[in-house]
Amino acid sequence: MEQEIADLTARLAALEEGAGWANTINMEVYYWWCTALMFCIHAGFLAYEMGASRKKNVLASGIKNILALAFMIPTFFFFGWWIYLAFPNGLIPDFEAGAYGIPWSDAMGPNLADNETGIFWAAFALFGATTASIFSGAVIERIRLSAFLILAIVLGSVAWILAASWAWHGDGWLLTQWGWHDFGAAGAVHMVAGFFALGVLINLGPRIGRFNEDGTVNALAPHNLPFAIFGLMLIIVGFFGFLAGCIIYAGDGQWTTIFGNPATLSAVAFNTLMCFSGGIISAWLVTRDPFWMMSGALAGIFSAAPGLDLYWPPMSFLLGAVGGAIAPLADKWLQKFRIDDAVGAVSVHGVAGFWGLLAFGLFASGYPNVAEGAPDTNLLGQMIGAGAMFLVGFVPGYAISWVMNAIGALRIPEKAELLGMDKAKVPVSAYPEGFWDEFPGGKVPAATPAE
Amino acid sequence: MGSPITSWDGAEAYFTGAGGASPALLLILSVIATFAAIWYGAKHETHSYERLELE
Repeated sequence: MEQEIADLTARLAALEEGAGWANTINMEVYYWWCTALMFCIHAGFLAYEMGASRKKNVLASGIKNILALAFMIPTFFFFGWWIYLAFPNGLIPDFEAGAYGIPWSDAMGPNLADNETGIFWAAFALFGATTASIFSGAVIERIRLSAFLILAIVLGSVAWILAASWAWHGDGWLLTQWGWHDFGAAGAVHMVAGFFALGVLINLGPRIGRFNEDGTVNALAPHNLPFAIFGLMLIIVGFFGFLAGCIIYAGDGQWTTIFGNPATLSAVAFNTLMCFSGGIISAWLVTRDPFWMMSGALAGIFSAAPGLDLYWPPMSFLLGAVGGAIAPLADKWLQKFRIDDAVGAVSVHGVAGFWGLLAFGLFASGYPNVAEGAPDTNLLGQMIGAGAMFLVGFVPGYAISWVMNAIGALRIPEKAELLGMDKAKVPVSAYPEGFWDEFPGGKVPAATPAE
Repeated sequence: MGSPITSWDGAEAYFTGAGGASPALLLILSVIATFAAIWYGAKHETHSYERLELE
């Protein structure tokens, strides 16, 4: 009998150990595929941005987009993860908490005692790269590549992750002091990126020919609208990875949000699809333009993003519909101030993200928070958080681009802009077999010589 | 540089050079390479635009 009990005890211990490992490995696998799916966002932004460019700038836009991703990743390793861990209390760093994110920490590399850090770092790096891609589309066809790269690093490896430390962290001050809730990062990702772009656009100025002296607007049509629309749909695919990465897989119980409250992927599935649809339908009714219909899908998702874990699906549908309608209208309104946002990033991400946060405060107040001392969800908390997100995005974007503009390092020369950035500095041609014959300024060689 | 462990039993951080000074050197080189690439790209960009102005 004693031997049987000892055998059963040993088998139970083995089973528990096996189950523990299954949880750990499942968690790693889950976030691995979230990160992989998030690469679709970048494939989508690449297609979207190149399609939205005129043909004289298509490769330069592609290079800019690809390099944003490439420079974001190492800089996020150098200091981005440390910022996330060190700043949940505000602007004073917590060096003890941040120690796990410094690059030479044992956690920041292969470590058999740590299955989490790398996989979360990767997902957050991709979230950061998403902010850089959002910004990238707004400034196409006239920004210097080097200026863009510095601004993209500031946005993706500093500004957004500081905002995430405040607004997307279990100990973030917006949660613990104000009861903030933003499941899908409408604030930390979309508002920050959208208003960072606005700050840069003010200093960068519009593309040549975009506005007439009387304030009327000229359409600088995308050279390949179907490609841009396809890119937008691919971004939506990637957002399923993004939103899946917004939920915490514990393995030994119910899913939770980053804020600690229980949640289900089922809720996120209901609501994501409903707000996606609402955004498309309303943008179609307002514009009849497929570019804005797909942008409306994105705006619809960001409009409901803060409460994707909580909303009733018809509410998500209606919030998405409002977002899909206001995004193109906001873009038109910005044009009155000669803001040339080539892809509508400020309105789709910034304005719709703000609407999402406001709507959550209006319609989803009173949910209990589980973080110690945190008040229930409330409108004031959402508004304070939205204000913080605006400032974290707009201020560095405006200030740094203002300095760059003052020293002549922000914008390409007029001659290069008129000729096209591809011809000016890209050693290969996007369309060597005939597209150049319509090149502005007359006849140019069919193939661009190497540098 | 090289392996910081002699056995997988009880191993934790096992990346090359863990616990020593070499990761710091690699980190510094990586940071320099990243920002030097931007500097070099800016220089090339300026050169391209200056050449264009002369044409």
